[in-house]
This record gives sequence, structure tokens and C-alpha cells, in this order.
Amino acid sequence: MKLARMLVLTFGVLLAISGAVPLLKHILADNKPTVQLNVQNAAPREVEDVTQNAIVRDYTAAWQAISTSLANNTLGPLNENFSGFALDKFTQRVKDQKEHGITTRIIDHGHKVDAVFYSPDGSAIELKDTASIETQVLNGGTVIHSDQAQIHYYAVMTGAEDRWKVRVLESAQQ
Amino acid sequence: MRRVIYIALVVALCWFAADCAHADELRVPQNAVAGQPITINGSGTLYLIGPGQVIKRDFKSGSVEIKGEELRSAGRWIASTGSSQSQVFWVKPGKPENLNFLARPSRVPVARPNVISGVTFVFDKYQNMVIDPTPVNFNLSVGGVGSSKTVTSKDGVAWTNSSSASKAGAAQFVASTGDSTVRRVVQQVAADPCNLRMHVAGKSKNMVILETDPIRDCSGNPVPDGTIVTFIQNDQNGKSTVDARIKKDIARAELPASNNATITVAAGVVLGNELHIGGK
Repeated sequence: MKLARMLVLTFGVLLAISGAVPLLKHILADNKPTVQLNVQNAAPREVEDVTQNAIVRDYTAAWQAISTSLANNTLGPLNENFSGFALDKFTQRVKDQKEHGITTRIIDHGHKVDAVFYSPDGSAIELKDTASIETQVLNGGTVIHSDQAQIHYYAVMTGAEDRWKVRVLESAQQ
Repeated sequence: MRRVIYIALVVALCWFAADCAHADELRVPQNAVAGQPITINGSGTLYLIGPGQVIKRDFKSGSVEIKGEELRSAGRWIASTGSSQSQVFWVKPGKPENLNFLARPSRVPVARPNVISGVTFVFDKYQNMVIDPTPVNFNLSVGGVGSSKTVTSKDGVAWTNSSSASKAGAAQFVASTGDSTVRRVVQQVAADPCNLRMHVAGKSKNMVILETDPIRDCSGNPVPDGTIVTFIQNDQNGKSTVDARIKKDIARAELPASNNATITVAAGVVLGNELHIGGK
């Protein structure tokens, strides 16, 4: 009888661990989206190595900020990574989401990015992004839309005080 | 006969049910444009989630009309009735109405090839980038004389490179498309001095006064006041240097009188003439 109890208890503990480990893994995982940048087609100026690294870092951070802001309806991450029209639009989106009780969960499966324009003075860069994105729109706790798609984006980034900020981010039908 | 009527009634009933179900189906527009009204059919509550906004409406008589000024964001939209029905649709940008114009640099020497760049990003009324090719006209002129070039935008951007004019002054750099015109000023300043020459303008017991001829660049533009001109005197006592600023096209310096001195003049990398004072 005692042995049976011990077995049940052990089984219970193992079951709890098997459930908790993937959950912890998911929580602790680096949830940065992967960004692959190709600068071969950038014109009229060649993209310097340092700039390439900075663009990958800051474009990744911008997408992380979108995910966080739209999921939690917070503006902080947007202000750090966006400026100009893109900041205005995402700010309005977050405000509207908050007003209507909506949140958007973005599961980012990565970006294949081509630099298509780099200004002669090196102050602005335009990117063409093919993003694999899973989107879930929630009204309260209810999922009202869910889809997974490859979405094409045009992004314009400009140099700011200590980083590149996204000034334009627009999805377009191909 | 009764059986035929029965079958006909069943078919009619199914038809009616299908029609009712179809009326409740969410139907979204296929060619929506930012700034233009759209109508969406369905039932219940409609949520429209766009790139830069969210709209919530209740269907009245099976449809909802979204006004043009409400549909501002171009891109991928999601329409959902809050239940199982949701669809994705696209909104295109409107016609080009705004330009974002970067002109660099703001100050440039005259007569330099391909030194001025103009970059424009094309937007519609609601700040959506217009991806479709759009002709953008660039005009660079000083005192009404200049050059004009039309460039068709690609992926929302049009850019040009221009040489600076040979005449100094505030160049008007204008980018335009349709009714939208954006103006920037590029200050074109004289380049390095050309034919820098000095002469002795006066002499006293202890001092010699040196003065340059009016200092101009190779295109004849006066070099701006405040530009530093360096006078260097070498004699038996060593080297004396005086930095003088150009004032009204001329630089002037007083150097200690010497029995046998060689004086040179320079402005930046440009060397002028050499004078010998005193000696045998």
C-alpha cells in the first residue's frame, strides 16, 4: 500500500516536472525574432559592415517592440525603436486596442530582409522584408482572429541619437 | 405527386437557409484604398484591425460603411465579427500627396561635381508610403538659374545627385510631385581661394602692414568674411605668424619691421605669393 502511494506520488512529481520544464524553457527562451539581412542590392551607397550589424540589431529590436506593445498595449517599447509616421501609427493602434479591449499576439517566425536603398549621405535606409508571422487577435481572452502568413513589409530606418529607428513600416500585397 | 411537392419544399427550404447563412457571411472589399469609403457585409459586431488603427462597429441591416477619413492606414487589415468569422483584406495607399525630402549637405562649396543629394519618400494624404512608381521633379537653382530633373520613384523612394553651381548663394532645392512641393535651401559658398596675392599696404619704423588683394575663388566668388588667412614672416629673429580674418574680401596683418625678411601668405591649403622686405 505504501509502495503504491510512493509510486503515485513519484508519478505526480514527474508529471509536474515534465509540464513545468517546457513552460520554463519557453519563458526563459530568447524571444528575439531572427533577421537575415542582404545588402547586395542596396544603392546608391554600399552598406558598411558596422551599419549592417546595427540595422540587424535595431530592426530586430523594433519587431520585438511591436510584439510587446501590441500584446500588452504599452507604448514604452515603441518610443524606443520607432519615430515619425511609424511611431504615430503604432501609437494610435495601441490606443485603439486599449479602447476596444483588444490585444494582438504576434508569433514571429523570422524575417528575410533586403536593403534596397541606402541614401548617399548614409542617413536613411529602406528595407524590403518578407516576414513569417503568426497573428492572433484577442478580444478579452477570446481569440477573434488567427492566421499565419508571409507578409511583405517596406521599412525605412533613419539614424537617431544612438540607434537606427524605424520611421516607416508598411505591409504591402505582392 | 405529394412526394414531388415534398422534395420541392425541402429544396426551397434549404435554398432559403443557405441564403440566410450567406447574408450573415462576412464579406470584405477586395480593392480598398486609404481615404476612400468601404462597405463590409456581415452580422453582429465588426472589428477592423488595421496597421495603425482599430475600428469597432455594429452591423446595421447587414452592412457597415466605413468613411474615407476613417480608413487611413494602408496595408494588411483584419476584419472579424468577434465570433468564428474573420478575414484578411488589403488597403492600398491613396494618390501621392506628400513628400518627405532630405537635401544634403546644407552648405556646400561651389563647382563641385555630384556633391548635393536629394532623397524623397513619397506618401499619400494619410502618411502611407506610395510604393507604385511616381514621377518626382527635382529643381536646383541659384538666382533663377539652375537645372531640373524628373526621377520616377522605386519602392517609394526617388533620389538625385547634383553638382553645385559655379555661383555662390542660397540655392533653392525643390522636389515636387502633383500638387505637393517641398523646398530646401542649400547654401553654396565660395570654394578655396584662387590667386591669393598680398602687397605691402604701409610701413612704419616698427611695423609693416600687409594686405591681400580681394580674395576670390576660381569662379570669381568672394571668399566669405571670417575665413582665416595666415601671414608668415621669416627673418634672422625667427618666424612670426599672424592669423587674420577676411573682412570685406580683404585680409590685413601687421608684422614687426625687419631688415631682411621673407613673408608668405596662405589660406587653408592655398599658398599665395611671397614678398622680400629689406636686405640688399
